[in-house]
Amino acid sequence: MITVIWRVTLKSQATRGRLIALGLLGAVGLAIGLAIGLGDVTDRLDASTNMVNAFGLSLYVPVVTLVFASAALGDPAEDGTLVYLWLRPVARWQIVAGTVLATLTVTMPLVLATVGLAAALTGAGGRLIGGALAASALAVLAYTTIFTWLGLRVRRALVWGLAYILLWEGFVASAGRSAARLAIRAYTRSVLAHATGIHLKLATVSVVFAVAVPLAVSVVAGAVTVRRLRRTEVA
Amino acid sequence: MTGAAWGPPPPPGTPAEPMILLEHVSKWFGDVVALSDVSFSVGPGITALLGPNGAGKSTALRLLCGLAVPSEGRVEVLGGQPRRDLSLFGRIGLVPQQEALFERFSALEFVETAARLLRVARPAVAAAAALDEVEVSTTDPRPVRGLSKGNRQRVKVAAALVHDPEILILDEPLNGLDPRQRVHLIELVRRLAARPGRCVVISSHILDEVERFGSRILVIAEGRLAAEGDFRAIRDLMDDRPHRLRVATDDATRFAAGLLEARVASGIRITSANSLEVETSDVHGFRRSVAVIARERDLQLEELVPLDDDLDSVFRYLVGR
Repeated sequence: MITVIWRVTLKSQATRGRLIALGLLGAVGLAIGLAIGLGDVTDRLDASTNMVNAFGLSLYVPVVTLVFASAALGDPAEDGTLVYLWLRPVARWQIVAGTVLATLTVTMPLVLATVGLAAALTGAGGRLIGGALAASALAVLAYTTIFTWLGLRVRRALVWGLAYILLWEGFVASAGRSAARLAIRAYTRSVLAHATGIHLKLATVSVVFAVAVPLAVSVVAGAVTVRRLRRTEVA
Repeated sequence: MTGAAWGPPPPPGTPAEPMILLEHVSKWFGDVVALSDVSFSVGPGITALLGPNGAGKSTALRLLCGLAVPSEGRVEVLGGQPRRDLSLFGRIGLVPQQEALFERFSALEFVETAARLLRVARPAVAAAAALDEVEVSTTDPRPVRGLSKGNRQRVKVAAALVHDPEILILDEPLNGLDPRQRVHLIELVRRLAARPGRCVVISSHILDEVERFGSRILVIAEGRLAAEGDFRAIRDLMDDRPHRLRVATDDATRFAAGLLEARVASGIRITSANSLEVETSDVHGFRRSVAVIARERDLQLEELVPLDDDLDSVFRYLVGR
């Protein structure tokens, strides 16, 4: 059943418009990476790590994941096609698992290819590429389940998700260490900082927590989404 | 309600207990009451759910599919509660009112996906058969977003039939269909409902076509159950509404005089030399008397036609429109 849900979701959410728009956004990151790689930079690793943090982990990864994950169950809920998944003798966790896997199928390659290539273009070396890939993968996992839940929970999930990314993670959670712990970005940024050895603002979480917390968030958000789907009223 | 359906009588072996049961069900959304203390049951055969726009029909259909939770009361389908027993979804087919489908799928892909999710043994074969049943091509590779409204509607019907459900619920299924397609769908639904232990609940605003599905109705008005049963029997019980009938005879004037003398008509309008329209509050007395009057006055009684016991008239009387 999961594969059927996966196929339906993948085919519905991976539209050409979304892929082109997010591809263009990714091209901006590649251009920045190339500019650093070709430029005369004093500390290439420092500049590149900050670029991956600022563009990749703070903007590109959450936005790409938001666009696809919020659409996974959010679009069917809004256009009425959720009934064709919901009114079936399929365990609710299988529906959520199928949609999450579909989102990961699109976002993971897109994000890892873009962020990894942007990191490679800076010429800062393998530590940055490895750190960027690990941090991005963790971020995609956590954001996918959070935004899948958001898509099911609210209308205009894209707007709410952007508000979360820009206002909460970008502004409120930057105010101090305690607030930062309530943002996924603090953990993924810490993974990147540990991998490169470059100091990043508020990247103070140990490696174990930096990996474990996004994974735990992913599991909890997935469980909450299943519960929500079970209780939702379908139009 | 009795659970008896109009159309072919339930075949032997049909379960006597209702297939769908709503007991004192209310549903509200914030301050808006969509359904208020509604109780009914539905047995095998076809039952039409009628009501004006906003009366609560779609809410009732959503409740009996398990798509919504009652604020009060109990919904039971095939002896279970659909929101608690997922396996019941494999025994229910729904044609929802909304038009959206998985737009990038072909008709065959859409129906086959439904079959797979419904755990049909041979999903591709079942999907092709269901599409054949509704006369939609199985080889058309176009995504459903490119299909006409009528074809999209038929694809929805095919997806609802693909697992041969015991309960089929159709919300405005005739929307977008041309007259020939409507006739075909009506025949298909009647055929499906005639099988043992099958129940069809249909909601439609096209009353003259609902009438062709069957005569058993549930009427919901302003969130309450206004009437249930055979609509002709309901009409007979409406003593406060005079019945209108047309009488065709060889001498309308003499026939009118006979009716007035017998005091069985409350109003008469002579529409031509051979035809008159009669209003009566005692339709059974009128029917008994009319042949006697014709015989006593040596008049021919060529035709006696009720003018307001059709579904449309009954519906208008019930909902006050």
